[in-house]
Amino acid sequence: MKKTMTLIGMIVAFALLAGVAVPRTCNAEDLTELKLKLPKPMFVGTPKNIKSKILDPNTGKKRKPVMAPAGLTNVAFEKEVTASDDEPIIGELEMLTDGDKEGADGSFTEFGPGLQWVQVDLGESYELYVIVLWHYHSQARIYHDVVVQISDDPDFVTGVTTIYNNDQDNSAGLGVGKNWEWIETNEGRVMDAKGAKGRYIRFYSDGSTSNDMNHYIEIEAYGR
Amino acid sequence: MTYAGKRSRIICATLIVVAAVGAFAFRVPNLDKRPMHTDEAVHTVKAGELIEEGRYIYDPQEYHGPTIYYFAMPFVWLSGAKSLAETNEFTFRIVPVIFGTALVLLLLLVGDGLGRWATVIAAVLTAVSPAMVFYSRYYIQEMLLVFFTFAMMAALWRHSQSRRFAWLLLAGACAGMMHATKETCILTFAALGAAIVAAFLWARWRDGFTLGFQKVFRRQHLVMAAVMAFFISAPLLSGFFRNPRAQLDAWLTYTSYLHRAGGAGIHDHPWYYYLQMLLYTKNAPGPWWSEGLIVALAAVGAVAALLPRPVGDAPPGRARPIAFVRVVAFYTIFLTVIYSAIPYKTPWCMLSFLHGMILLAGFGAAAIIRRTPTIPAKAILVILLSLGAYQLGQQAHRANTRYAADTRNPYVYGHTATDILRVAKRIEEIARVAPEGRDMLIKVITPDCWPLPWYLRGFGRVGYWAEPPDDMDAAIVITSEELDEQVDAGLKQEYQKSYYGLRPEVLIAVHVRQDLWDAFIEERSK
Repeated sequence: MKKTMTLIGMIVAFALLAGVAVPRTCNAEDLTELKLKLPKPMFVGTPKNIKSKILDPNTGKKRKPVMAPAGLTNVAFEKEVTASDDEPIIGELEMLTDGDKEGADGSFTEFGPGLQWVQVDLGESYELYVIVLWHYHSQARIYHDVVVQISDDPDFVTGVTTIYNNDQDNSAGLGVGKNWEWIETNEGRVMDAKGAKGRYIRFYSDGSTSNDMNHYIEIEAYGR
Repeated sequence: MTYAGKRSRIICATLIVVAAVGAFAFRVPNLDKRPMHTDEAVHTVKAGELIEEGRYIYDPQEYHGPTIYYFAMPFVWLSGAKSLAETNEFTFRIVPVIFGTALVLLLLLVGDGLGRWATVIAAVLTAVSPAMVFYSRYYIQEMLLVFFTFAMMAALWRHSQSRRFAWLLLAGACAGMMHATKETCILTFAALGAAIVAAFLWARWRDGFTLGFQKVFRRQHLVMAAVMAFFISAPLLSGFFRNPRAQLDAWLTYTSYLHRAGGAGIHDHPWYYYLQMLLYTKNAPGPWWSEGLIVALAAVGAVAALLPRPVGDAPPGRARPIAFVRVVAFYTIFLTVIYSAIPYKTPWCMLSFLHGMILLAGFGAAAIIRRTPTIPAKAILVILLSLGAYQLGQQAHRANTRYAADTRNPYVYGHTATDILRVAKRIEEIARVAPEGRDMLIKVITPDCWPLPWYLRGFGRVGYWAEPPDDMDAAIVITSEELDEQVDAGLKQEYQKSYYGLRPEVLIAVHVRQDLWDAFIEERSK
């Protein structure tokens, strides 16, 4: 009897688990390829022989298609941008959401050295699935301490969801991150926002392997 | 000399001293902020031998001459440092700062050759020229070479005006210092010798008179000046006679330099490399850079210097006043051509002829002002020149602050990335949690390790390998991108690896042994 009950319990548990998986499977089936318009590559020869526990193993390989729920739009397009440094050394804050992702002159904004952040105000709260970030892609380099957060609080004090953090030593003071570091290319960096809701997206960085400045070309946020 | 002449002389001398004070103030701040360039680091480590072992050995293949090491010693002593580990960036970089400033003061010696107001303008341009300021903060030989070159020229000029033998001996001593500073002095000697001949011939051809050199330079005196040069250069190059072969090596080294200058290397650039850099550079989005004002005024100065002169009476027993600027004009043209023709080019090499351009620019600007007919027009011209100098100063400021290690700065060449400062900080942090402290074992496995020896100078157990050794494990293992896979495969213990930029697009991997990394993260989260 006890064995029978155990067996029934296992079957029920399996059925429940299967039941939970069903919508996920359904969601997975609903995913479609998010077509990203990429800028022209500015260099060839991304280093392929460098590997570490924190560097994206896909470094130097072509990215797989980005899958996301259907019907998403870039809700960051032409939205207001603020920053820890309101007067960039080069460029304007508006350039971060103007749709220009090219790596050439006049397309990027440069902020001073040290930990800096930029913040996009989406105007209203959105369910966000895919964030794409182009720091600088005229040269192979790794930006340090990249942290991306979503919140409805413009000061990022309450209700903060961290969707990306590769600050392995907590030097930014936002917690130790386990996400990949990556070498910048024209593909930008795709981040899975997992449907996090929020009106504001904040991006941190602290210089790169090339210099201590912080650069941003474009930010896209796909949501609904 | 008339009262007005005396007053003008005092005013000009005062202005040159003020320009020198400004030059110093412009050069000395934040000498420790810019990461050490590979060449600077190499020289500090070579100076370290002098600090720690009290010896200098001339190497005909690398490093150039020793004056830069000897001149660092007073600052080492003043700082109280007993070893390289106890020194800092200031200890070394203050040396070119001093010579870059003293270069301005040397103009006091040539007022009667270049023209009083021309020397004031040249002083201001030397003080604010972006290249002059930038490389006055660089622990390499170039600024010393420029200083001794101009000191030699000024001493020769003073001798030509006073016929005092002491000036000629001083010129010989400066020539010796040039030889003990950098092998490229031979190009300067060649350009200067050819310039003296050209100026002499030009005067005979265009003016119908001689410049009077033959009246002031006696052969036996010149021989004694050459002997003086030898007696200055020989002890310095030989490490005060510890290595008597050095003087011979310092000449034999030209075979290796000839090979290097011949081309097919990473430092090969087209003939117009220097001129283009001086006229206009814009490497990427960001500011433009130009010392075109100096080049343009120098061109005017050269033309003004070479214009025919009335015969007039030659000063008794002295060279004619025009001789100085004529020699400078030919010297600058010849040296520019020589350096442009050599395929091997690094930006700091242009300082020698850029200084000639600055002298000519002073002469050219003064000539323009002199020929401008009215006082208001002269005033407008002075205002425009002041604005130009201000703009040069602005460029110099940004070249030494925000763009001090940025590839958009034309004078940043193969420079270490600011990321190296993070590496240094991280290693210090790990040492604080390591049981062995600063004696933790550090292995640097890369054929391209510079400037790491500078940043690791304070650690007790650091080893360098160009190829992976059998046993690679250590508290910290640093390797290049190329050897990264091999090192990963050879490490037996667990590590946390991070990538840092050594130079733009040149990465190094820093492996921190996992137990030390965990201790560091734990310490940080306290």
